[in-house]
Amino acid sequence: MAERRGSHWQAARAVFWSFFGVRKKSHYEQDAGRLSPAQVIVAGLVAAALLVLILLGIVWLVAG
Amino acid sequence: MAHDATHAHDAIPAHDGHGQPGGIMRWLTTTNHKDIGSLYLWFAGTMFLVAGSFALVIRAELFQPGLQVVHPDFFNQMTTLHGLIMVFGVIMPAWAGFANWQIPLMIGAPDMAFPRMNNWGFWLLPVAGFLLLLGLFMPGGAAAGGWTMYPPLFVQGGISYDLTIFAIHILGASSIMGSINIITTVLNMRAPGMTLMKMPLFVWTWLITAYLLIATVPVLAGAVTMLLTDRHFDTHFFNPAGGGDPVMFQHIFWFFGHPEVYILILPAFGVVSQIIPTFARKPLFGYASMVYATASIAILSFIVWAHHMFTVGMPAAAQLFFMYSTMLIAVPTGVKVFNWVATMWKGSMTFETPMLFAIAFVCLFTIGGFSGLVCAMTPVDIQIHDTYYVVAHFHYVLVSGALFAIIAGVYYWLPKWTGHMYDEKLGKLHFWLSVISMNVTFFPMHFLGLAGMPRRYADYALQFAEFNMIASIGAFIFGFSQLIFLAVIIKAIRGGRKASDQVWEGAQGLEWTVPSPAPYHTFETAPVVK
Ligand code: HEM
Ligand SMILES: [Cu+2]
Repeated sequence: MAERRGSHWQAARAVFWSFFGVRKKSHYEQDAGRLSPAQVIVAGLVAAALLVLILLGIVWLVAG
Repeated sequence: MAHDATHAHDAIPAHDGHGQPGGIMRWLTTTNHKDIGSLYLWFAGTMFLVAGSFALVIRAELFQPGLQVVHPDFFNQMTTLHGLIMVFGVIMPAWAGFANWQIPLMIGAPDMAFPRMNNWGFWLLPVAGFLLLLGLFMPGGAAAGGWTMYPPLFVQGGISYDLTIFAIHILGASSIMGSINIITTVLNMRAPGMTLMKMPLFVWTWLITAYLLIATVPVLAGAVTMLLTDRHFDTHFFNPAGGGDPVMFQHIFWFFGHPEVYILILPAFGVVSQIIPTFARKPLFGYASMVYATASIAILSFIVWAHHMFTVGMPAAAQLFFMYSTMLIAVPTGVKVFNWVATMWKGSMTFETPMLFAIAFVCLFTIGGFSGLVCAMTPVDIQIHDTYYVVAHFHYVLVSGALFAIIAGVYYWLPKWTGHMYDEKLGKLHFWLSVISMNVTFFPMHFLGLAGMPRRYADYALQFAEFNMIASIGAFIFGFSQLIFLAVIIKAIRGGRKASDQVWEGAQGLEWTVPSPAPYHTFETAPVVK
């Protein structure tokens, strides 16, 4: 899948790493070349929603 | 054309041909990004002296226990105006000034995308500043309900509360216009070859900041509009007697407020990320990581707001959620600190004034980040909320964070703006006095807070006397040291050693390819970036 134009999966991985704040240079260059801004923004919003759900899940485990 | 007329006042080149007015009309009608940048910076500097002197009133009253200097109600007006003006009248306009001066120079654009809106965006600010200060002369004095504008105080207060609400609306309109301008400029006016991922980090951080502003300022405007209608039009948004809820204001305010603190700090991250590579003579470590971390801080900043409200009453599950999400923000922030340190690692560093302030930023902002994590732990925060511990936290991130970055940026670009090197001796004196007195002022506040001293009171119990006296002495030294800064700036405007185009040996970027001082019009033909 390396040559394909940025898949959802690649956008998801880029966003995951961005939440952590780190990205390997070669991977970042692939991101920059293949992903469109719209793709990244949508992936970012989806990931933020997921993060909220995960946190709620943890809260539920701890306090539920 | 390299070094012709240089003084800010006579810098309009004759070749302009479209008969620009001189004198005051030049500044009222200007659409030039450099003029408008200077206006923003002078406005911020002036308001800094105003809000700074309010802080000195506060510290004079708190020098000793008991009431000596001002009436307690006036004390509350001072804390309120100090906070509001420092946030909306100093830090934000200063960043807008940097954006105006630097973004076109850094991306190779001839000006901002909407020059007339740019003018209007600036000239709204003095109006808002005037309204805020006008309150001091109104019956009952200025607004005294705190910079957070919580009801019921902000519903009950007199005419100056209306002035404050109006001022916030105007400031918000100005911020929105500024943001639209910056986003449009950055997305559409970059020189050929200047891809997004080649942009200097300062431009990146401002682009993300501009989106944060567009997303949050309307929320603040909504909150204060609800205050206004509660005050005058018989709504009961925040009035329990009418079915409303004052806690709702806090949720709305902090949904704006927490992203707002990142609005204040992200451009600071950008400036520091420009300065450290220059004086370490190495490229920024982890450029892409920095962009990613900035973006993720921006997103995360929207899901942490209730960490300001742990004591108002919330279900345990909500407390846990906001505690976890807040602590997560420390991860990308930590990545940034790591990258700055790694940039300096094994660099050939020199310590000119901008670099000194940038290094102080990295060290002291980190202290503020850590005390933020302490506040983020719900059970701890229930003890220290509304104490001086919180005051210590946010002054470490705002004074040694945002403000130090602004000062660092002024020293860094002043030679490009004025064409003269600033006085390095005075700059170093300014640095050492500022960094020492800043810590003398704010570090003891951690102890005061842990010992239980509440914030926003004109008086305190005897056991807090020593640390308060130390803090007040530090504050006066800090305040007066800033006059050195003013002197350095004026001195550099009026003359001094000629700055080269490059200015700093290790500096990279388009702004260093134009003459010093930067001519009135730059990049009329776009440069090509390889
Ligand atoms: C590591 C990142 C940070 C964390 C975890 C954090 C956490 C917190 C928490 C939990 C509070 C509430 C304390 C209380 O009222 O009891 C707080 C207050 C505050 N923080 Fe931070 N913070 C961080 C960074 C920043 C930054 C970067 C700024 C600004 C540049 C900032 C500015 C403020 C301000 C102004 C307040 C007080 C607001 C008020 O009540 O008047 N913080 N912070
Ligand atoms: Cu916050």
